[in-house]
Amino acid sequence: MRKIAAMGMALALALAGCRQRTATPERKQLRIGVSLLNLSSEFIVMLHQAMERKARELGVELVVNDAQRSAEKQVQQVENFVAQRVDAIILNPCEVDASSPAVDRAIAAGIPIVNVNSETRSAPTAFVGSRDEESARLAMEFIAQRLHGRGNVVMMHGYMGQAAQLKRDQGAREVLAKYPNLKLLAHQSAEWDRAKAIALMENWIQAYPDRIDAVFAQNDEMGMGAVIALEQAKKKDKVVVASVDAIADALQAVKDGRLDATVFQDARGQGEAAVETAVKIIKRQPFQKEVYLPFRLVTKENLSEFLK
Amino acid sequence: MRTQIQRRTYGSAGLLIALLAISAGLALVRPNFLTVANGVNLIRQISINGILAVGVTYVLLTGGVDLSLGSLVALAGVVAAHCAHPGQAPVVTPVLAGVAVGAACGAASGAVVTRGKVAPFVVTLGMMTVARGLALVLSGGRPVSNLSREFTWMGSGDIAGLPYPALILAAVAVASHIVLQKMRLGRYLYAVGGNERAALASGIDAAAIKLFAYTVCGGLAGLAGVVLASRITTGQPNAGVGYELDAIAAAVIGGTSLAGGVGGVGGAILGALLMGVINNGLDLLNVSSYYQQIVKGLIIVGAVLLDRRQGEAS
Repeated sequence: MRKIAAMGMALALALAGCRQRTATPERKQLRIGVSLLNLSSEFIVMLHQAMERKARELGVELVVNDAQRSAEKQVQQVENFVAQRVDAIILNPCEVDASSPAVDRAIAAGIPIVNVNSETRSAPTAFVGSRDEESARLAMEFIAQRLHGRGNVVMMHGYMGQAAQLKRDQGAREVLAKYPNLKLLAHQSAEWDRAKAIALMENWIQAYPDRIDAVFAQNDEMGMGAVIALEQAKKKDKVVVASVDAIADALQAVKDGRLDATVFQDARGQGEAAVETAVKIIKRQPFQKEVYLPFRLVTKENLSEFLK
Repeated sequence: MRTQIQRRTYGSAGLLIALLAISAGLALVRPNFLTVANGVNLIRQISINGILAVGVTYVLLTGGVDLSLGSLVALAGVVAAHCAHPGQAPVVTPVLAGVAVGAACGAASGAVVTRGKVAPFVVTLGMMTVARGLALVLSGGRPVSNLSREFTWMGSGDIAGLPYPALILAAVAVASHIVLQKMRLGRYLYAVGGNERAALASGIDAAAIKLFAYTVCGGLAGLAGVVLASRITTGQPNAGVGYELDAIAAAVIGGTSLAGGVGGVGGAILGALLMGVINNGLDLLNVSSYYQQIVKGLIIVGAVLLDRRQGEAS
């Protein structure tokens, strides 16, 4: 095992060496390696598109890899970027701890690395993203206002233990703590999945007949699932549903008056800021170490600003 | 010792006892478990896994396996959704398109298994990745939404209180039961899975039978994908991850052997029902998400253990 690792390392080093020698000193176009969490998620696709747009505008080349939710794959991708001596790396981390070695490798090789959308334990050169707690706080605050601070709420979690789930849970509970008459009746995971959320909501309607006043779902997929199940049971008019992400389907549902609120996370802003920050670092211009883009609550009233 | 040609199914008595015991327990603790509304919920919730479990039973009977089901669900859902925008085409078009794409993928797997003599595990693992990739390509990685009311009605509507997905499952189950138990084709499936050489020696075209099994399994996965898309009102390229394992689990819980030649439709439905009752019950009891997974695993293994004990005793 050790031997193979050593051989692999030697090979990587040799390859890196070759690259360096063959690379022309005045290479004009900057190259940025990008490792994305998962290109089959709508939000990440939007993030990716924003990055490509910004890169074209700034005349830099992006080398984009999809880690397909695997932190291990992500670390390998960053190792490859290091071997290719890219000018900077943009990392959209899969996991807080497991993706940290990717950051360590880049820093050790002296290549600047910008984390986008979520965090790693190891500190990158810069971070661009949003505070996930805030999204849940906005949604839960909306629910509290609509219920006048009194009633029963159920919450749908994402995959248990993921950073987004933990932070959205934390944000929601902070708001609940402020309203003593707002009771968390039940909370379960529907694993970010619409079909699972439909089943969970159906089961809750049975378990708590006519006692649920509001649903907070930690993403729109689950929020849409809750809406579908409530409509099917002809109870949607009695229950407030709010969720997070502002995906196209959810915005349409807000427009149609089916979903009460969603929370907009600025994929475009994050993608653009990540590329901008990376380019600033490469060019040794002053840059912000932490860029936070605000979340915004989307309801029927301000919907037009978010519909493309 | 029975002859190889005979269709064999385990007596599902043990499984039925487990199912009834768990249901009775739930009904005692949570009176709302035994309501009509919850019963309707339950059959709606098991319908997709049930359709997949019936489909994979065909393949399991031949001694094969199909790991591509979850990806086929996603692919068929995306294809169906593309044909199901309002005013685009009559509602049969997306349904047929979804089933057809599933059947085509199933047939492709079957062809490689039989002609190329590659292990089904490998072939269908490859198909799992290919179909997932196709679903992503066709959808551009984004859910396909804005589907017609007629199409989504299939997933949420009902006839006399019976949800459409459950009716579809019932139709699939009855038709498959007839094929497997009453028709010569069914007998050949058991024969090929029980002892392929003996089947060949008695003049059965084993390759054609296997091809048929994979095609039907793929087609039913396509149908499940259509039902799912209609239920969640979008075609999701990342839907259905892990569904193949739930389907295989349901079939195996129901007494279908992974080695082939033993099993049936009734068991697959019972297996799906048991998994559905566990899910539904744990939600009604508000068991924490962490513990749900442990409890589920233990009950599944326990139920099969009980069933096999019963089978040996009788």
